[in-house]
Amino acid sequence: MNSLNVIVCIKQVPDPQQLSKITLDPIRKTIRREDVPAVINPLDKHALEEGLRIRDEYGGRVTVVSMGPPQAELACREALAMGADEAILLCDRAFAGADTLSTSYSLSLAIKRIEGFNMILCGNETVDGSTGQVPPQLADFLNIPHVTRARRIEFTKEKTARVERSIEYGYMVVEVTLPAIIAVTKEINVPRIPTVSGILEAHQREVKVWAPKDIEAEEERIGLAGSPTQVVDIFSPEIGRKGEILRGEPEEVAKLLVQRLHELGVI
Amino acid sequence: MDFSFTPEQEMLRKTAREFAEKEIAPKVNKMDETGKVPMDLVKRMGELGFGGLLIPKEYGGTGVGHLARIMILEEIGRVSAAMANTLQIHHLGESPIIYFGTDEQKKRWLPSMASGKKIGALALTEPVGGSDVMGIQTVAKKEGEAYVINGRKCFITNSHISDVCGVIAKTGEKELTCFIVEKDTPGFTPGREEDKFGLRGCNTGEIVLENCKVPAENMIGKPGDGLKIALSCIGNVGRPGVGAAALGIVHRCLEEAVKYANQRTLYGKPIADIQAIQWLIADIYMDYEVSRWTAYYAAWLRDKGVRCDAENSLAKFWSTDSAVRCAQKLIDIFGAYGVLKEYVPQRLLRDAWPLVSAAGTLEIMKIVMVRDVLRKYA
Amino acid sequence: MIEEFKGVWIFAEQRKGKLLDVSLELLGGGRELANKLGVDLSAILFGHDVSKLAKELIAYGADNIYLISHPLLEFYQSDAYAKVMTDLVNQHKPEILLVGATAIGMDLAPRVAVKLETGLSAHVVKLEIDEKRQLRQIMPGFGGKVMAVVVCPNRRPQMTTVRPGVFRKPARDESRRGDIVKVEVDITEDDLRARTIRMVEEKPREKPLEGAEIVVAGGWGMRAVGGFKPVRELAELLGASVGGTRPALDEGWIVEEQMIGQSGKTVRPKLYIGLGISGEMHHTVGILDSEVIVAVNNDENAPIFQVADVGIVGDLRDVLPHLLKEFERTR
Repeated sequence: MNSLNVIVCIKQVPDPQQLSKITLDPIRKTIRREDVPAVINPLDKHALEEGLRIRDEYGGRVTVVSMGPPQAELACREALAMGADEAILLCDRAFAGADTLSTSYSLSLAIKRIEGFNMILCGNETVDGSTGQVPPQLADFLNIPHVTRARRIEFTKEKTARVERSIEYGYMVVEVTLPAIIAVTKEINVPRIPTVSGILEAHQREVKVWAPKDIEAEEERIGLAGSPTQVVDIFSPEIGRKGEILRGEPEEVAKLLVQRLHELGVI
Repeated sequence: MDFSFTPEQEMLRKTAREFAEKEIAPKVNKMDETGKVPMDLVKRMGELGFGGLLIPKEYGGTGVGHLARIMILEEIGRVSAAMANTLQIHHLGESPIIYFGTDEQKKRWLPSMASGKKIGALALTEPVGGSDVMGIQTVAKKEGEAYVINGRKCFITNSHISDVCGVIAKTGEKELTCFIVEKDTPGFTPGREEDKFGLRGCNTGEIVLENCKVPAENMIGKPGDGLKIALSCIGNVGRPGVGAAALGIVHRCLEEAVKYANQRTLYGKPIADIQAIQWLIADIYMDYEVSRWTAYYAAWLRDKGVRCDAENSLAKFWSTDSAVRCAQKLIDIFGAYGVLKEYVPQRLLRDAWPLVSAAGTLEIMKIVMVRDVLRKYA
Repeated sequence: MIEEFKGVWIFAEQRKGKLLDVSLELLGGGRELANKLGVDLSAILFGHDVSKLAKELIAYGADNIYLISHPLLEFYQSDAYAKVMTDLVNQHKPEILLVGATAIGMDLAPRVAVKLETGLSAHVVKLEIDEKRQLRQIMPGFGGKVMAVVVCPNRRPQMTTVRPGVFRKPARDESRRGDIVKVEVDITEDDLRARTIRMVEEKPREKPLEGAEIVVAGGWGMRAVGGFKPVRELAELLGASVGGTRPALDEGWIVEEQMIGQSGKTVRPKLYIGLGISGEMHHTVGILDSEVIVAVNNDENAPIFQVADVGIVGDLRDVLPHLLKEFERTR
């Protein structure tokens, strides 16, 4: 099996362990994230770990690509500390406000400038939007196949990956030709902790920062301008902890409870 | 005055915290129960590079310096002071070689200690009393190209797990000398292992030297350098290391106090609303802030090559003294739950106490401080 | 141009020859939207030998079915499904396209959205038509801390994935009539760059509490129903991890690693369900970061109800069997 050049897409997100600190500005209808430390999206760490393992086994390069505000440079730096060979950050005001379509478009332009990649790994979803839409959309912009919810990746022959993809109550086995995008779940591996020398080396290296002109992006297709979906309102859900007590016949309350949980989107 | 940390230091701290929370935390209770050193965790610390923080790059370390070192020890201590102390004594074991060894000696021992393949220790204390350094009885007699050492060391951390141990012995009437003795050298035997009431999982024990023959190349410096080497290494590496482990405990006390006070209710509201509890928390906060800034300052001075015996002693005094005090207050905040073994506060108290006299008692710390003060303020 | 787009479409997902409940629910919600807009409700169905499913979809409210039947499409094949769906949408121009937020739906819909150059919102919990005939899409974000309202003003179709259980399955009406349009497709194996070879069912293993998305916990009150069996059953149904209180540990119903609380584990699931748990602080400190807390207890003064979002005051012996049945039915 030849060496594989892997691109890993990462996103910096609010620390999911501290999401309770996120507040809503009720007047400006924006989300205040300042009090919440930012981390690499947990599933992206699993993606990066998988890329590093593939490189460690087969040889090749791991290039990390991200899109975000200036502080996302820290996430890229952490990826370098974990062992990535190169990090590229798309950073510019014009990229801001992007929905998944616009994000995928921008990322695809950056990736097109990277020569000779064999596969792209992503976390299956992020902890903020949790849409899971970027991997398939990025794949379509690049005109390559995609597989989501991957919990195991094997290379059975040249230019082909065999992926176990988890679905409700089981899994699917998918054979995908490379290059492809594979979005991973947390079952796939345990991400490594950076070593001291990894951290020091990472700070000696450069995180490349690219602006729209560096990737020849069309203005109307990036950022908020390039987003067909728009958020017109945000509010706190009316979940008070002094909650709702359901009373009534056992059969009735059982039905009501299950329905309420579906409505809340937790099952 | 810039009190911020470098991006490298921030990331080192974050990584140490991640390691402590993900890998050490699940094993803490077992360590406390059995008192056994989790060697797999010791190996992991080596793999991550924590063993070589003070070792220069050309000898296999990363040379990140004292400030980064105590930040990492603090993060580990916040989860397990026992693991923090085990690591910091390993650094102490390296330090005679780092600061006083020849190039050949550094090449011989430091690379494998940096990677954690070999674990370090320093054996100075004897039953005559750790504070009475010149009173030690272990003797090293020259015999041809070697020295034969006889004696007994006690309360040595890492006694049963070290591969490379610094031994301070008398080579003359008032002459102390430092030797490096490797594990499995005939006549060098770990003796009794102590059963401490706290800091369990950190190994403390005796070392028996019986006609232990050690080649002359294993002497660090010259005959008579032993006192200077011991005091310098303990003062600049061992003492801050103990302090950092204790600082981790104080940090943890503050976090646990706030968490508990916000959740526990009494009279229908969180106890964080009760002034008496607020004062206890304020006390812990003050101890934490003073402990941390004196510790960081002393380390910062050391990294600049400035002599800072008083500052090191002050920092160690404050954090170890605070650790016991804050853990007691934490137990008070927890009420009856504080004395139950299944809750954290009692372990923090038990882990704090052994650190108070490690690397010098509170009284010795005062003596060191006053010596400097009398000179500076004369 | 936008005005040209009319109709509400759903992606009807089937697995191993059985329609998923979520597809029928989409027909329920889709019908309401279609009625409000005064347009047809249609469904796209892929598979092999699934024409009787097409008839089912009509019985559940679809006016038109676009049926793509091909041996190579028995399992989900992302390239083929996406291409065919795109072609159909381009041909017929629906204004709304609903997809169930399943492992397959969430894989398919985004790719189609790019091909159609349109907007896609994910796992909505509510859909409304506003005065401009626009679809208002409401979904949770940031782990449920925030609800967002999204619209797609300038592109069509408006696409969205919908969580199972959000809509209600409509009543089945055998007498309903509708059109089944057989769509011919020309596919070879080479066209399938990501090829599903097989689908395997798995019995869920005992999941650890760490990182659990759903936790079902039991306490002292489970004595009334003879022990922890219902907790495990419910956990298996929901793909959840099992947890408990100190009394549950003392009874031997759980092991130490499963104890939640001050001296046990802290969990941060999307959903925590506490059965027969009184809610003493030493347990509840371990659950306060859960997105949604549900409690069932027969004592309405139990402290658990102070921290629960939704609770049932009732006898476990009566409530549990119905709960298990209802969760099973809607999964």
